[in-house]
Amino acid sequence: MLALSGCASNAPLDTLEPQGPISRSIDSLSDPIFLVAGIVFVIIFGATAVIWWKFRDDHSTDEFPEQIHGNFRVEIGWTIGPAVIMAVIAVFALISHFELNSSDRTDIQVAVDGTATSWDPEIVVVGQQWWWEFRYYFDGLDGVDLSDPRNLPPADIVTANQMVIPTGSEIGLSITSRDVIHSFWIPALNGKRDAVPRRVSPWKIEAEVPGLYFGQCTEFCGLSHSRMRMQTVAMEPADFQAWVDRQMRPAVEPNRAAAQRGREVFEGQCARCHVVNGVNDDTSRGADLVANAAPNLTHLMSRTTYAGGIFNLYESDGTLNRPQLEAWLRNAPAEKPAYAEGRRGMPAMGLSEGQIDDVVAYLQTLGEAPTLDIIAATEVE
Amino acid sequence: MADTAAVSHGHGTGTGLSNNKLLMWVFLGSECLLFGGLISTYLIYRSRFGDGPAPGDIFDIPFTSVSSFVLLMSSLTMVLALAALQRGDIRNNRVWLLTTALLGSLFIGGQVYEFTTFVREGLGYTTSPFSSAFFTLTGFHGVHVSLGILMLMSLLISSLRGTLTRERSETVEIVGLYWHFVDVVWIFIFTVIYLVPSPTS
Amino acid sequence: MTETMELEAPARPLGAYTRPKANTGWRDWVTTIDHKKIGILYGAAAMVFFIIGGIEALLIRLQLATPDGTVLGADTYNRVFTMHGVTMVFLVIMPLAAAFANYLLPLQVGARDVAFPRLNALSFWIFLAGAVFLNMSWIFGDAPDGGWFAYAPNTGMVFSPGKGMDFYAIGLQITGIASLISAMNLIVTVLNMRAPGMTLFKMPVFTWMILVVQFLLLFAIPVITVALFLLMFDRNFGSNFFNPEMGADPLLWQHLFWIFGHPEVYILILPSFGIISEVIPTFSRKPLFGYPFMVFSGIAIGFMGWGVWAHHMFVSGIGPISVAAFSVSTMFIAVPTGVKILNWLATMWGGRIWFNTPMLFASGVVSMFTIGGLSGVTHSLAPADTQQTDTYYIVAHFHYVIFGGALLGIFAGFYFWWPKVFGHLLSDKLGKWNFWLMLVGFNMTFGPMHILGLQGMSRRIDSYSPGFGFEFWNMFATIGAFIIALGVLAFIVNVVMSARRARHEPPVGLDPWDARSLEWFTPNPTPVHNFDDDIQVEALDEFWHRKYGEDENGKVVRVASAEEVCQDGSATDTHLPSPSYWPVVLAAGLPFVGLGLIYTLWLCVPGAVLILMAIYGWSFEPVDDPDGPHGHHHDHGGDELVDGGSGATPAEETAEEAPVG
Repeated sequence: MLALSGCASNAPLDTLEPQGPISRSIDSLSDPIFLVAGIVFVIIFGATAVIWWKFRDDHSTDEFPEQIHGNFRVEIGWTIGPAVIMAVIAVFALISHFELNSSDRTDIQVAVDGTATSWDPEIVVVGQQWWWEFRYYFDGLDGVDLSDPRNLPPADIVTANQMVIPTGSEIGLSITSRDVIHSFWIPALNGKRDAVPRRVSPWKIEAEVPGLYFGQCTEFCGLSHSRMRMQTVAMEPADFQAWVDRQMRPAVEPNRAAAQRGREVFEGQCARCHVVNGVNDDTSRGADLVANAAPNLTHLMSRTTYAGGIFNLYESDGTLNRPQLEAWLRNAPAEKPAYAEGRRGMPAMGLSEGQIDDVVAYLQTLGEAPTLDIIAATEVE
Repeated sequence: MADTAAVSHGHGTGTGLSNNKLLMWVFLGSECLLFGGLISTYLIYRSRFGDGPAPGDIFDIPFTSVSSFVLLMSSLTMVLALAALQRGDIRNNRVWLLTTALLGSLFIGGQVYEFTTFVREGLGYTTSPFSSAFFTLTGFHGVHVSLGILMLMSLLISSLRGTLTRERSETVEIVGLYWHFVDVVWIFIFTVIYLVPSPTS
Repeated sequence: MTETMELEAPARPLGAYTRPKANTGWRDWVTTIDHKKIGILYGAAAMVFFIIGGIEALLIRLQLATPDGTVLGADTYNRVFTMHGVTMVFLVIMPLAAAFANYLLPLQVGARDVAFPRLNALSFWIFLAGAVFLNMSWIFGDAPDGGWFAYAPNTGMVFSPGKGMDFYAIGLQITGIASLISAMNLIVTVLNMRAPGMTLFKMPVFTWMILVVQFLLLFAIPVITVALFLLMFDRNFGSNFFNPEMGADPLLWQHLFWIFGHPEVYILILPSFGIISEVIPTFSRKPLFGYPFMVFSGIAIGFMGWGVWAHHMFVSGIGPISVAAFSVSTMFIAVPTGVKILNWLATMWGGRIWFNTPMLFASGVVSMFTIGGLSGVTHSLAPADTQQTDTYYIVAHFHYVIFGGALLGIFAGFYFWWPKVFGHLLSDKLGKWNFWLMLVGFNMTFGPMHILGLQGMSRRIDSYSPGFGFEFWNMFATIGAFIIALGVLAFIVNVVMSARRARHEPPVGLDPWDARSLEWFTPNPTPVHNFDDDIQVEALDEFWHRKYGEDENGKVVRVASAEEVCQDGSATDTHLPSPSYWPVVLAAGLPFVGLGLIYTLWLCVPGAVLILMAIYGWSFEPVDDPDGPHGHHHDHGGDELVDGGSGATPAEETAEEAPVG
C-alpha cells in the first residue's frame, strides 16, 4: 500500500509524507501500526490460503474430519494475546495523543508597526461556508473574546484562504466557525480539527521548511464543501516579518483611472460583503459586521488562491490569471455553487465587461505579489 | 411449543412470564433509553438559559412536590386495582382503576397549570436550550401518562362491559407495569430536574 | 381440555371485520402474518432498495471517475450520497438481516411462529411505508442532502431550509418504529418459545447473534428517536437543541446520533456473523470451533459497542481525556471480534471443505472483514485518526466491513437457505460467477480507497481537482463498481433462471447440505405450519446428532437417514393464526401523516383515520376466521396492548398444549 502510494507523482494532501514535526510524530505512531496490521493481514490470509489449498474436499474420501469442538486454552490464548498487544499499542497511542494535544509554544519576536512585540503565536481560524478566514492578534489571545464568531474583536491582520506562518515555531490555532461545522486540515503538517460554531478548539501547526502546504475542509458542510480549501504558507522568519509589515498597511490609493473606476464599483457593490482596510473598515461601525460575509481583500494579491482556495490567482510565470478571475467576477455561482441569496457564497454581481475590467484593475492594486516560488508551489495543474 | 397469553408451561425453556407480560417488560427497557436520552439532554442544557428564566428562578418545588405525590399515590391505587381483580372483586377493581385514572389526570392538570404559568413568566418552548429541553422531557412524560390514562379508561370500559374478569387480570397487571414505569420515570425526572439544586440567573 | 372463555364476541361490530382468508395471490401476501412470508417480503423489498442504492453508488462513482466531474452537480451529488448511505444502511442491510431473522429464528428455536405474528407483519409494512416515504423525497425534488449522519447545525432550518431533512427525520422515525417492534417480538420469541430442551446454550449461533442484535436495536433505536425528534422540533417549532446562536451545543447531535450509530454497526454485522457461523461448520463438516467463545464474544461485542461511540468524534473537539478513553475502549473491542475470525478459521482448519457458493461467500466474509477490522484498529489510535478521519480511508474501512462483512454474509445466507425457503437450489455455477464478480469488483472499488484516503482525499466531496493525485485510483474504483454491478446482475439472473429450471425439475428434497440445526428438520420448502411435532432438543446441533453418532473409535458414523430424521410436513390440519388486514392498513396511514407534517396538516387527517381505524379493527377482530379449520387452539398473537387490548379476543387458555405446531 505504501509502495503504491508512492506511485502518485503529485500528492499534495498526502498524509504519508509528513513535512512538519507534528505530522511526523503522528506518522511515527501510525507507520508501525500499519506494519502490525499488515503482518496480521498476511497471517490471516496465509492461513486462509493454506486452508483453501490443504483442506478442500478433493473427493478422495467420504470420512468426516475430526469433530473438534474447541480448545479452551487456545481460545483463551487468542483472546488474551490480542488484548495484551492492544494494551501495549494503547500505551504508545496515549503517549502520542497527549503530546499531540499539548502545546509547547515559545514566543516569537515580531515587529508590529515598528514596535517589537513578543507574540505568543496563536492564529484564530474561522471557517464559514465556504472559505477560511485567519486572524492575527499580536498581543496574544488572552482577553480576546472569541465567543461570538460573528463579532470578533478587530485583529491586527485579517486574511483568507492562505494562512501564513513562520517556519521553525509551533503555532497555536484557535479554530471556530461562523455557521456549520467545518474541519481544518493541512495533512503535511498535522491532523485535522473540527471548526464548531460557538466553540473554540485549540490545535497547533508547525512547518520546518518554507513552502506552501495544501489543505481541504474535511467535515461535510453543505453545497460547496468540496470547494472549501486552504493552504498554509510557511516563510522564514525574516520573510514572515516582511509579510507582516506589508499586511499591516492599508490599501494604497489607486492612481490609474481604471483602478479608480474599479474602486467605485467596489464601494458600490462589493463593499457590502468584502472589506478593504482603509476603505470600509470603519471600526466604529464594526468592520467585522461586514467582513463576516466575505474575505478581507486588502492584500488579495499577496495570496495565490482565492474563492475558498480553489482558483489560482497567478499563472506559473507570475502574471495574473485573468480569465479565471474575470469568470469569477462575471458569474461566481457558475464557478462555485452557492446560495448567494442566503449570503452563503458569492452572488452573480451583474457587472458589465467594462466594470469587470475596472474591478480587476482595482484588485491588482490590493497587495503585492508573492515570490515565484510560492506561486509555483500553488500550481495544481 | 407455541405459547398463549397464559403463563408459559410445558417446555421448561421459557422465562415463566407470559408473552404479553414479557413484551411489556421488553418495551419498558427501550423506554428507559428514550427517557435516558431526554434526561441527558436536559442535564446538558439546564444551565443554558440565555436571557430567559433560569431553572432555579422559576421552579415551584412545593407545587411540583404535591403533583408528584399525586402520581405516586396513583401507583398505589393501581396496585389496589390489580389486587381487587385478582381476588375477584370487580367493583373495587373499577373503583381503583377510575381513581388511578383520575389521579393521573390530576397530575396532568398540574403539569398543564405549571407549563402555562412558566410561559406567562417568560419561559416558552423556544426561549433557550434549557426551556426546550425542559418542556420536551416533561412533555414526553406527560404524553406517556396520557396514553396510560387512555389505557386505564379502556380497561374500565371493558370492565363495565363485563369482559374484564379475574381470569384476565394479567391485562391489568401489564397496564400496571406501564403505569408504574411512568411513575418511576417521574421520580427520576422530579429528582434530577427539581430537587437537585438548579442554576439561577 | 381446552377451555376458552368466549366472553363477548361482537359478531360483526361496526362492519365486516372478519379475518381475511386468502392463501394465494397478492391478497395472501398483503394480509399474511406468517413469519416465513414476512421474511420473504423483507428480503424482496430490501433487494429492490439494494438496486436503488446501487444505482446511487454507480452515479457517485461516475461523478468521481474523473476530476472536476460533470455527471452530477454539487447539489444533486449531495442528495445522492446521502440517500445512498441511508438506503444501504436502513433499507437494505437491516431488512435483509430481518428477512433471515424472521424466516429462520422461529424455525431454529423450534417454534411455529414468532410471539406476536400480527405485530410481525406490522413491522414489515411500517418498514416499507418508511422506505417508500423516504424515497418519495426524490419525487418531490427534495431528497435529503445532509449526509446519512445529518450533522447539526447544517441540517437545521437555517442551513437546510428545504424539506429534504424533514423527509429524512420522519422517514427514519417510521422505519425505527418497525425495527423496535420487531426487536421486542423476536426477544419474546427467543426467551419464551424455544423447543423443549433447548436451553439458551443449545441455540444456534445465528439465533444468538440475532438475539444480541435485537437487544441492541431495543436500546439504540430510542436514542436516535430522541435525536430525530429534537431535530424535527428544532426545524419546525423553533426549539433550541442544536442552534449554537441560542447557546446550544451542536455536538449534542453527534453524541445522540453515534450512541445509536455505533451499536447500529454491530446491528449490521452480527447477523452475518451468525449466518457464516452456520455455513462454515456445515461445509467444513466439523462443528463450529468454540461455541461458548462465539456466543460470549457476540455478547461482549453487544455490551462493548455502547462504550465506543465517540471514536466517530475524535476530532470534534470533545477534549483529550474523552478522546483517550474512547480510543482505548475502541482498541479493546477488536479483541472479541478477532476471536471470531480465529474461531472461524479454526473451524475450517482440519475440515473437509466443500467450496460451494455459500462457503465461498462465508470465507469471503472472514477475509474481507479482517481487512476492514484491521483498518478499524488503525483508526482507533486517536492521533492516527486525526489524519484518517473524514477521508476515503474511512470509506474503505466501512465498506470492507459492511459490504465485505455484512453483505457477503447475507449472500452466503441466500445460497445456503434458498432451498429451505423456495424448495430449489440456486445454481452453483452462476453463484460462483456472482461471488467472484462481486469479490473482484468490490476489492477493485474499495481497496484503492485506502490509498486515496491516505493521500488526502476527503469524504463527501462532489468532485476533486486534478493535481492531487486522485485520478488513477478513482477511475479504477469506478470500473470496480461496475464489476460489482455485473455480480449483482449474475445473482438476479441466477434467481430467475433457477426458479424457471425448478419448474420442471424434482424438488430439492430433504436436507440438501447435510446441515446441523433445527430448521432442516422440515421438508423443503418449509411447510406453512413449520413443524409437525415439537422437537425435543438434547444437544447443540440437535439435527446433526440425530443423523450421526460415533463408533467405538470415535469416528463419525451415520445412524439415521434424512428421511428417518426429518418430518414429512403432513400435519396440515394444524391450526394457524389467521391473516389480518390491519397491519398494512395501519402502516399505510404513516406516510400520510408524514407528508402532512411536511406539507399540509390536512394530509395528517386521512393518515390518522387509517391508523385509528386499524388499531380499532385490530383490537376487535375475531381471533380466527370462524369458518376456518379448527384444530388445536394456540397462540392468539397475544393481547395487543394498544388501548388495553380489550374486546373480543378470548381469554387466555389454560389448555394442555396439544403437540401440534
